Amino acid sequence: MMLTQLRSLRWADLFLFALLDPRALYRQIDRNEPPSFILSFMVPAAVAAIDIITLSLLGRQTPFFYYKITYGWILMFIYQSLTVAVAASLMDMASQFFGNGGAVRRFIILINFSLFPKVFILPLVYIFHVFSFAPIFFYFFFSTGLLIWSAMIAVQGISEMHGVSLGKAAVVYLFPAILIWGSLFFMFILLVICGTGYFAG
Amino acid sequence: MDRNRKILISILALLVLSSVIAIVEISMNMQQKRGPGISLAGPAIGPGVGIVRVEGPIDMTGSSSPSLMSRGAEGIIARLNEMERSRDIRAVVVRINSPGGTVGASQEIYEKLWRLRKKNIPLIASMGEIAASGGYYVASACNYIVANHGTITGSIGVIAMSPNLKKLFEKIGIDMRVIKSGRYKDILSSFRDISPEERQLIQEIIDSSYRKFLKDVARGRAMNESDIQPIADGRVMSGETALKHKLVDMLGTFEDAVDKAREMAKLSEDAPVYDEGASSLEQILFRMQALFSGGSLMERELRLRHVENNYRLEYRCLP
Repeated sequence: MMLTQLRSLRWADLFLFALLDPRALYRQIDRNEPPSFILSFMVPAAVAAIDIITLSLLGRQTPFFYYKITYGWILMFIYQSLTVAVAASLMDMASQFFGNGGAVRRFIILINFSLFPKVFILPLVYIFHVFSFAPIFFYFFFSTGLLIWSAMIAVQGISEMHGVSLGKAAVVYLFPAILIWGSLFFMFILLVICGTGYFAG
Repeated sequence: MDRNRKILISILALLVLSSVIAIVEISMNMQQKRGPGISLAGPAIGPGVGIVRVEGPIDMTGSSSPSLMSRGAEGIIARLNEMERSRDIRAVVVRINSPGGTVGASQEIYEKLWRLRKKNIPLIASMGEIAASGGYYVASACNYIVANHGTITGSIGVIAMSPNLKKLFEKIGIDMRVIKSGRYKDILSSFRDISPEERQLIQEIIDSSYRKFLKDVARGRAMNESDIQPIADGRVMSGETALKHKLVDMLGTFEDAVDKAREMAKLSEDAPVYDEGASSLEQILFRMQALFSGGSLMERELRLRHVENNYRLEYRCLP
């Protein structure tokens, strides 16, 4: 069964749509044909491995690399998956504020696939590493670019999911970041107030 | 659509290929950088001072805890071997914080240090809160010993202990059945009294180990055995007293020991120090390795303890 599905190459459509047509990606996820929940976790797993390899390529290369690429990869994968799960839950919550139905499972799949462009960081940076032409700068440059690409995939997918405008979808997508940064900001303000009060007293 | 799928598969294959090439490149770079097998922590480069740590009770294998990577004699010797091969290590500071340990393990470390000393690598012992018995034995192999004012040191002597549980066993009605090939096979057994012949036998081993201890300390400190013997009765002493008896050369801290090492190796004042401390991330991953390779570190430690026997002769300070 699994082998037949693998040979059919229909799973490749999910990755293809992630790059070319995010709205079609969501429609594919919605149809659940082929089943995509477990498959979607391949993306954070690949991103974690590629991230470790890229950073090791640019940084100090020591035998500790073997620990990073084995146990470190497991840790990174768990961290990425948890982040996706938390972010997807918060996005689902935000979309329910706008009166849409809950769809946390589809959010998780969508966010996972939206990370797919990040795997291109290695080949992109590798070129500059080989020619020793500002690889660190280009690492940050391409990371930013790929992050924006990832965000655009997710925003278009959310827009297709709930039939809302791109602006509303962007708000839903940014909600976890706004919530976390907002909380941190207010915690910082409280800390400053408490600190000032303590020292003044 | 099929064509697009095949293009995507090709892209994925290229990604995998680039990852493999990157891993190979990283591995090859590491091999080139490692040179003759050295793998020292820290970003420092160039000639400097190596640190080796003797922490806790000294035994042959020690703990595999990442924070105490070289506690056992084998780990310490492996670390010293790395330093011996490295062209960057010009002097070694042996940081000792140990009450001593088994005779064999202490002797192995001593002999390894003595070999380095004969190769004219300056060795400086830096004593922490305690460097007694086997800890002092190890220190005595160094060219120069730095102790803190309040370091507990000395305790030159050998000890072997075995509890006598005979009366307890009699009280609870346990009778051990021992089948042995020779009269001394269960020497130091906890289930019966020790015979005068057995006591004599153990005493001979103790005396032999003690003579070796005394001889090696005298050799390391360039003193006569007769000068050391009066204070080699197992007594512990502070760093200050040890200085009076010439068992140490200077009162000072670890920093002073490092400075002394730089001075003896004719290095600059800011020459790098190659310590063995692992970062927190490394420690987490080492722990994960222990977890994945079966059982916790604690369980491994318990397994090691389980195979210990009663015949532990120790250069050890027991309060």
